[in-house]
Amino acid sequence: MDFSRRHFLIGSGAVSLPLLLSGCGFAPQQSTSTATGSKTLTFTTWGTDAELASFARAIASFEEANAGTKIELNSVPYGQMFTNIDAQLQAGNPPDIFRVPYYTFGSYAGRDQLLDLSPYLESGFSDRFTDAAWAAVQGNDKPFGVPHHTDTSVILYNKAILELAGITSVPTSLDSAWTWDELSEVAATLRAAQPAEAYPMAYNWQGNGVTRWLSLLFQADGRFLDTNLTDPAIDSAAGLAALEFSSSFFTKNFVPPNNTIKSATFASDTWYSQTSAMVWSGAFAIPDATNTLDFEWGATFAPRGKRGGGDFGGNALVATAGTANPELAAAFLDFVTGGTQMRDFCETASLLPTRKDLSESGIAFDVRPELAPIFLSQASTVRAKDSSQVASPDMSRIITVLQDNLESAFAGSTSTADTLKSIAEGIAQTTGNS
Amino acid sequence: MTKVAVEQDRVAGTVAPSLTLPRRPGRRNGKTVREALAGWLFLTPNMLLLCLFVLVPLVWTVVISFQETNGFGVGEYVGVANYERLLGDPLFWRSTANTLLFTIIVTPLSMVLGLGAAVLFNSILPARGVFRSILIIPMAISGVATALIGVLVFNENNGILDNLIRFIGLPSVNWQSGGFAAFVSVVLVTLWWRVGFNMLIYLAGLQSIGPELYEAAELDGAGFWVRFRNVTVPLLGPSSFFLLILNVIYSFQVFDIVFVMTGGGPQNATSVLVTYAYDTGFVTRDQGYAAAIGVVLLLVTFIFTAVRWRTSRSRDLVE
Repeated sequence: MDFSRRHFLIGSGAVSLPLLLSGCGFAPQQSTSTATGSKTLTFTTWGTDAELASFARAIASFEEANAGTKIELNSVPYGQMFTNIDAQLQAGNPPDIFRVPYYTFGSYAGRDQLLDLSPYLESGFSDRFTDAAWAAVQGNDKPFGVPHHTDTSVILYNKAILELAGITSVPTSLDSAWTWDELSEVAATLRAAQPAEAYPMAYNWQGNGVTRWLSLLFQADGRFLDTNLTDPAIDSAAGLAALEFSSSFFTKNFVPPNNTIKSATFASDTWYSQTSAMVWSGAFAIPDATNTLDFEWGATFAPRGKRGGGDFGGNALVATAGTANPELAAAFLDFVTGGTQMRDFCETASLLPTRKDLSESGIAFDVRPELAPIFLSQASTVRAKDSSQVASPDMSRIITVLQDNLESAFAGSTSTADTLKSIAEGIAQTTGNS
Repeated sequence: MTKVAVEQDRVAGTVAPSLTLPRRPGRRNGKTVREALAGWLFLTPNMLLLCLFVLVPLVWTVVISFQETNGFGVGEYVGVANYERLLGDPLFWRSTANTLLFTIIVTPLSMVLGLGAAVLFNSILPARGVFRSILIIPMAISGVATALIGVLVFNENNGILDNLIRFIGLPSVNWQSGGFAAFVSVVLVTLWWRVGFNMLIYLAGLQSIGPELYEAAELDGAGFWVRFRNVTVPLLGPSSFFLLILNVIYSFQVFDIVFVMTGGGPQNATSVLVTYAYDTGFVTRDQGYAAAIGVVLLLVTFIFTAVRWRTSRSRDLVE
């Protein structure tokens, strides 16, 4: 048979179509229990090089410990992660396991998309995690995932700029962390010492990072949802204090005018360019800051309001409700939250553990290990009553409500009282209790 | 009779009988059937892809717009509730107004600047190939990359533009925190991205105009502006029609530049229909409502195109 150009083109098209479709993330996922007894799980995640390398090591160890099993790791860019996951869930061919931020977790758990792990986990499984971490993966009091790691914001500072302003020491323990008033005094000192186009600080609440504003609410000992997670609780004295404090960052020129919620310029970029002397930041930024910055920098604790507090950042690992191998999926989730695997992941990727033992004994980041105790101490201020609110099934819509209203408040278009009222009404609408 | 006149007559439905093609005598022969079959075979892949990736999602979007759904499971039919909700949604109206304003500003500016550049580069200009390439380069870059460059330029803390403005002693512009300035920054980046394409189409149109028309006009005493107004502009009618439709559709669909540069902020000053639909569909997961926004966008675009199609007298004008 002659092999013409037409045959070549037809053949190429036939071969490349499945590749193209899989490149879009739409190739059917496989979850198989073959006749030979081998079992395969698919695991979709995004990640930095360090995170993906640690996942690969954990998978290799799991496969070695469980002969005949195979975990197929599918890494995708973060920007495509959840549009793909949603499409796959809608099409009925999701991966067996995927990684999900705590603030998105509730959207899946509350809509019957995730596997209830209760029947597959041994009793006492939850004891390995901190209370705050375990509370963040609950839906109707059932675990729909495992808390794989966390992160929370502390303050990173440019040593030279602080010293030039006469600030030669920063708090070195959680108990001595600046109070809100002390932070304002430090910011005012920096404001006076810096030129107009430079600023004392930048806050990392851009985009979905709006949940980091909740750090201030928790520091004021406030809540945005009531204890049943059904009604708004933000229109309170604590809510007012947190909003007035954060709005003062703009009215007092403590942050640049473009440090708003919907800004395209992230707080870290503002700090990197030395436009701001300090920045709120999670531990995840340490490797990049270390590699990028040519100035000396350090870290200190987030301030205290009525109490210490922080946002519960980080990600859970979840199994999908329709997985063909629920036992194997649960076994893998159990394995990756083991002490060895979690230590490896957190130390190499500069993230914080959710296990009690690691939180208490401490870990050492591969990069800037001396900063790990600061982040671990700050994470210890997160309480279960704080993190459980973020697991609300309505969190995605609540995030939009927070974004719209805080943006408006920070621009000075809406008074703090009206903003709180509007946020409360928005939350009530999203939870169906308006 | 020129082709122009024939085409105009055809459009007006007054094609002279003498111009109709004679019917082929007898039954179709095998060659004709094979040609028709080949034609359909060539069309089939495109038609299949068009159905799969355009028509099916489009119909599905219309169906979803009548549902309340978070994207998981079966949606609940709510009739026209999503459309009723649109009427009382201030952010929808703000986004609609922003989209219209963006379209009204960007479309004529893109075309005028594109035409100006095309006329310039069609003339005897030293190194015009280099200039053409410079203007066309943004076309080769994705919208997201263009917008990221825009962020670097318009960053009000340390962006290139504000640094220059400060350097010459002027007060810096709040490109990101001021609503008006943010809108202007989006328009400017869009123009930078789009003028090259407009220039390219106009350049092709200009090069198809015969020099004898200009010579005749010149002999009649027409100066540059008269020649431009009475020869160039009318004969670029098809290019203008094509660009107008395309620019309006692109403007209605603007997403990547706004999404990356401003995220719709500050305070929704740059929120447009597609960014609003995206946020509604994929952030708050209110997919029925997002689909309704998409359908409105489709209808507006469709109506504009239909009206323009019916009213344009020069869309098929050729020399």
